[in-house]
Amino acid sequence: MSLECVIEVRDLSFGYSDVLLLNRVSFCVNRGDFAAIIGSNGTGKSTMIKLLLGLLPPSNGEIFLLGEKLTSFRRFSSIGYVPQNSGNEAGKFPATAEEIVLSSLYPQIGFLKIPGKKHRAMVQDALERVGMKAHARTLMSELSGGQQQRVMLARVLVNNPEILLLDEPTVGIDAGAVTTLLEILHKLNIEKNVTVLMVTHDMAQVAPYTNRVLCLSDRNFSEDAIPEGILVHAHAESHEHMHDHIHEHVHCAACDHPHDPDQCAACSHLHESGDAL
Amino acid sequence: MISELFQYDFMRRAFLVGILLAVIIPCIGMIVVFKRLSLIGDALSHTSLAGVAIGLILGINPILGAMAACLLAAFGIEAIRKKIPRFSELSIAIVLSVGVGLAGVLSGFVKNAVNFNSFLFGSIVAISNFETGLVVGISILVFLAFLLLYKELFYITFDEQAAALSGVPVRLVNTIFTILTAVTVSVASRTVGALIVSSLMVVPVATAMILAGSYKKTAIGSVICAVIATITGLTISFYWGLKPGGTIVLTGVVLFLLALLVQKIRSLYRGRKMKEAAHEPS
Repeated sequence: MSLECVIEVRDLSFGYSDVLLLNRVSFCVNRGDFAAIIGSNGTGKSTMIKLLLGLLPPSNGEIFLLGEKLTSFRRFSSIGYVPQNSGNEAGKFPATAEEIVLSSLYPQIGFLKIPGKKHRAMVQDALERVGMKAHARTLMSELSGGQQQRVMLARVLVNNPEILLLDEPTVGIDAGAVTTLLEILHKLNIEKNVTVLMVTHDMAQVAPYTNRVLCLSDRNFSEDAIPEGILVHAHAESHEHMHDHIHEHVHCAACDHPHDPDQCAACSHLHESGDAL
Repeated sequence: MISELFQYDFMRRAFLVGILLAVIIPCIGMIVVFKRLSLIGDALSHTSLAGVAIGLILGINPILGAMAACLLAAFGIEAIRKKIPRFSELSIAIVLSVGVGLAGVLSGFVKNAVNFNSFLFGSIVAISNFETGLVVGISILVFLAFLLLYKELFYITFDEQAAALSGVPVRLVNTIFTILTAVTVSVASRTVGALIVSSLMVVPVATAMILAGSYKKTAIGSVICAVIATITGLTISFYWGLKPGGTIVLTGVVLFLLALLVQKIRSLYRGRKMKEAAHEPS
């Protein structure tokens, strides 16, 4: 099966003031990937997401989304973006889950037009996909952190995006809610072939669901510099799940081939540690 | 008793103008409060006083002077807000300072001090035909714009970045909203008073927020609260001989306190229900 690069970054550089944060970064995320961006604080993970959305102008380099150059890209309803702390921020706004999700349907409703029955049905459907239909008319402030985050996910899912960009979606919510959220994302990734690119610090919980990890360090991304401890730790956390997952879905982070322990050292390493645990 | 209230032309006019403003001021106030710019009304109304002073000095209609000053101030706030997005509230403080400073200096050059002072606390019972017409026209314009842009304003207020990515013409909508805010504040300064208009912008919204269960209900509730405060305040001021602008605002504050009381009773009732449910045998 040929791989379609849906997010492509070529020689991208960016800095704040005189400090260079990203230096000649190049990478590609393929359709159907569930990729995690990891790295220490201040290395530019969230900045990378903002650059991908055109919210920040790069100093150098090019970005392509769904095969189109970002500067001329207009199909942003195909990209679902969940910013950092978005659930928490939404909790301060006096609106119901239904109202929040409906607002995102703007591209389909249009300027100065009133939402119809079809749009309200789409909202209910999106809320159902994240298990929040029962709370459609609940104020965001009355929902838990995990529930708020699921509404924020429904808010982007309502437009049936091809790519999901998530900035630390698991921060500030309890472990159970994190698992629920990741299961929803996993299902979307597998069943709807939605590409997921997620900035995270919580690699231990996220790793079992990802097929690629982009490690940001020293102003650049590298896929072969994934800290082994993180993967092994993740393995230990949910060994059984990850073991199945590796065999079913994982493309090797180091060589980008479908996972095969016979083909590369990285796969072999994962496989061995999986068996050993 | 009611017929006595409406036998005077100035009172009928006061009720008409008061109710129209009570409908549109919270519509603007909703957006302002949820954008965390609650004090914008203060900044604009104080700057409008500088416009009033300029109007009186130059011999042009002070409301037009107030409108021009409010527009400049509103766009000034937007411009500064974009320069320092992390401290957006500072933009209001800066424009407020300019407005107060200018109004203070220019008021010294106004010959008719009584006319200038009438803008401080308003004179809803002494407005002219021209001013009534202006309020009616602006009210219709603001209300229609609020209804038409309801969805867009909601999205921008909730998440301006996402709204822009979704294709909402954020700059256009913000510009329209800024103009509407400025004209609303300038006409309201003449009627309810520059020192009071910002209270009408915030207090009914705060009251509705406590009780309402959604954004839409908050919008409707804010208008209802403001209309009740206006009708009650005007009636009380008529019979007790009080200043109408201040009485309207104080009535609004009483409604806010009542809303807090209702919220308290509601939470006690819910707590009791939950305790009862916990003690029920499964």
